[in-house]
Amino acid sequence: MTKRGASVDRSFRGEIARYIKDPISTTEHCRYSLMCRHVCPVGNITHSETLTPHGWALVVASVKRGLLAWDEESVDILYKCADCGLCQSHCGTNQPLPTAIAAARAEVVEQGLAPPQVLAIDKALQKWANPYAKRAPRKVKVKGVIGLYVGDAAQYLHPSTLEAALKLLEAMGVNPVLVGVGCSNGFLASSLGLAATATQLATAILGEVVKADCGKLLVMSPGDLYAFRTLYIERLNLTWPLEVEVVEATSFLYNAFKNGKLSLNRQNATPSYAYHDPCHSPRVRREYEAPRQLLSTVLGTAPLDLFWREQRAHPCGAVGGLEFTQPELATQLAEARFADTHRAGASLLITEDPLCLNQLKKHASFGIAVKGLYETLAEGINE
Amino acid sequence: MLNDFQGDMLWSEIEEVVGQKNVSTLAADRLVYSTDWSWIPQMWLDRGIQPPAADFVVHPGSAQEISAILKIANSYRIPVVPWGGGSGTQGGAIPTYGGILLDLKRLNDIIEINEDSLYVTAQAGVNGSQLEWALNEKNLTLPHYPASANCATLGGYLAPRGSGTISTKYGKAEDLVMSMEVVLPDSTIIRTPPVPSHAAGPDFMRLFLGSEGTLGVITEVTMQIERLPEVRLLRAMLFKDITTGLEAGRRMMVQRLNPLVIRMYDPSSTGSLVKEVLGYELQGAYMIIGFDGWEEIALAQEKRALAICKELGAQDLGREAGERWWNHRYDFYYPPWGLHLPYLYGTVETISVFDKIEQLYHAKKEALEKTFEDWDLSYIGHFSHWFPWGASLYDRFIVKDPPQDPHEALKLHNRIWAVAVRTSLKNGGMLNEHHGIGLKLSRFMRAQYGPAWQLLETIKHAIDPHGIMNPGKVGFGRGPGD
Ligand SMILES: Cc1cc2nc3c(=O)[nH]c(=O)nc-3n(C[C@H](O)[C@H](O)[C@H](O)COP(=O)(O)OP(=O)(O)OC[C@H]3O[C@@H](n4cnc5c(N)ncnc54)[C@H](O)[C@@H]3O)c2cc1C
Ligand code: SF4
Ligand code: SF4
Repeated sequence: MTKRGASVDRSFRGEIARYIKDPISTTEHCRYSLMCRHVCPVGNITHSETLTPHGWALVVASVKRGLLAWDEESVDILYKCADCGLCQSHCGTNQPLPTAIAAARAEVVEQGLAPPQVLAIDKALQKWANPYAKRAPRKVKVKGVIGLYVGDAAQYLHPSTLEAALKLLEAMGVNPVLVGVGCSNGFLASSLGLAATATQLATAILGEVVKADCGKLLVMSPGDLYAFRTLYIERLNLTWPLEVEVVEATSFLYNAFKNGKLSLNRQNATPSYAYHDPCHSPRVRREYEAPRQLLSTVLGTAPLDLFWREQRAHPCGAVGGLEFTQPELATQLAEARFADTHRAGASLLITEDPLCLNQLKKHASFGIAVKGLYETLAEGINE
Repeated sequence: MLNDFQGDMLWSEIEEVVGQKNVSTLAADRLVYSTDWSWIPQMWLDRGIQPPAADFVVHPGSAQEISAILKIANSYRIPVVPWGGGSGTQGGAIPTYGGILLDLKRLNDIIEINEDSLYVTAQAGVNGSQLEWALNEKNLTLPHYPASANCATLGGYLAPRGSGTISTKYGKAEDLVMSMEVVLPDSTIIRTPPVPSHAAGPDFMRLFLGSEGTLGVITEVTMQIERLPEVRLLRAMLFKDITTGLEAGRRMMVQRLNPLVIRMYDPSSTGSLVKEVLGYELQGAYMIIGFDGWEEIALAQEKRALAICKELGAQDLGREAGERWWNHRYDFYYPPWGLHLPYLYGTVETISVFDKIEQLYHAKKEALEKTFEDWDLSYIGHFSHWFPWGASLYDRFIVKDPPQDPHEALKLHNRIWAVAVRTSLKNGGMLNEHHGIGLKLSRFMRAQYGPAWQLLETIKHAIDPHGIMNPGKVGFGRGPGD
């Protein structure tokens, strides 16, 4: 027997060049493939065949064939995909369907058919580099070995995340250079089909990273990790500087904790709690244990398991720009996270991504409280 | 065909039952629901032709809502087509004559997991993999593992009588059913007895297994479940040909070794699919055997099976080659590995007794490859669902360069199917083993059943006098008034 098993190329890397050149071609594969619909959060909530990976792919492929046209109805459908990446991360052959959907949206934008909210966000991003505040981003001024990407959500929506993360890093003697303060990394723009704006924002971030001259860049969410590691190259054809390692802050802290560089105190009287793997978690190879172990240390018990967790973690709605373009769907996704938490028997939901925290706090239900992971850990620092 | 006025009136009536957001006439919805996983509508859409579409796509939330919808459909005499996951390969869920398409995915509650008597009760629209995950959280499993678990629904497992990877030990989906709730075409909601084994008259539950939505809508199901096994032992063997492989499988079955799985790829698929997906370059017939349960028992069963294989000259490829198949068994269905357009293809699977199955394979291979030589048709197959009396042949045809004209392509498709089916029937095979009849095989039901077909037609007419349920499928009429 000749064994070639180990070398079978399951990611079809050879095809990636083609996808970058013609991302929409992926829909030709996906239109009749039903193999990832079980994880699609939007399909799961709406129960609609059209709002599943193959449904979106078939719509895009049918527009190409003149069976459907982009109009208000079909564009609305196109903008219902959350760009959460669950389909691709559960695909046996790694088809970049979310990238294809973003590319189809870019065509819609180019044809002047994008929903008005998308154009409004584009304007804000172009002017302020974020969609939340009419303030220009702060430029990086110093250099350092370790950087921390702040972005726009931690700066404007949920600043306590940043404060707590900095407090934790300080406790282990790390003073990171702040990169991209108030500046979107381009993910939102890319999701919405605003390719030029996404490239502009990403280029600005890359410039900051080079200026900061750090060997390690910490990020506070899997979404940021995905943007820097994958999206820049896969969607924007921009290369991340290889000498800069991107690391999730949770993994960094967990390592420090394991190595005795960070000590955390156990708190008293913790309510039963669950942990929400932030949006985009399944699409990055993240250390699922890191946030859980840190929380277990500080809170004394392990988090209760949500059904939609780890590799199958569903987003909370703060994803793919749904908060702007499909507020009802974004709310439904958030509500589903609380229903899941309620079923698990938890009265507290903890997560770290500032965007998720903002979204979850807005839609909290079943009497469930929402708390930041860094904030929770920071309370347990040995002063 | 409804006129605009009737359409608006009907819309209002449906909306009153399910609410506005659960009924759609959007062009994109009508298009997406016009194709299941069967080749015909996929090919039409691929070539820029819209297949027949539903007038309304409806998402009911309960058996009561379905009952109310069926009442409306009877009064308007319009078709109703149940849709689970749309993963059927036979065109069973496509709305050939328009009407109301009932997407059942809102019925997705898992009602009870009983760990003492080992059963699960769930609504019929629950997704297969999601149900399995919920069971796995309790160390349990529903031992129906079709390659479509990610996309199919519980109701869709049963309506076309599906088989999964481990059916050889645990039975087909239908063998696991304990009871069901069904909405009959006249809108009555019935429940079958709570247990499947009794002597209280004829077993009418089985009527709905294989009815593919033509006799009613399955809304809730209780299925037997199992504890996850202590071990699953997979192993791969290489036989020089299918004759020796089939004999090995037969001996394992008649000696009641209780294998979890026996899957033997013919030399053509060993040289193509197995090579492409698993990366093994082999000549001969690649066979997977598996045993599960308590380790000492599974090991003993495996030992016996290995002795049989050895007697028949097989080469033991070891555990890694078996486990690799197990871990990647669904990869065969991801694009670009699965069969795909623009090819013309079909799975013409069948089942027969041991003494006929090999002849059936050769007869089909010869009939298809010879008759369609000009089209360079290729034929591949594997033997996958085994019984103590026989096995299923999962065979496929592929034409890589079919006619460009969609009408010509469809005609060629139908001609190939006719040759495949007639050859199966002539050689002791059935129309199929687990994909159901749908639209594709509908025209062959009389040939399959002969005079007994009349009995099924009589039953259909008695249960669904207006012919509203899934017309044109399973051999029944074209629709209301037919
Ligand atoms: C990738 C892939 C792999 C597959 N592998 C297998 C396999 O290993 N084994 C196997 O058996 N099949 C397999 N199939 C075929 C198919 O998935 C199965 O037949 C499946 O069980 C169909 O379920 P569904 O929910 O998608 O049903 P659908 O396709 O939606 O419907 C199938 C038929 O059942 C009817 N129906 C559906 N739900 C109900 C209900 N609740 N009440 C009444 N009627 C209903 C529909 O009207 C239709 O006639 C595969 C398909 C795909 C796409
Ligand atoms: S991403 Fe993969 S699994 Fe999902 S629809 Fe596309 S090909 Fe299928
Ligand atoms: S990106 Fe998320 S929402 Fe969009 S198709 Fe994939 S799984 Fe569904």
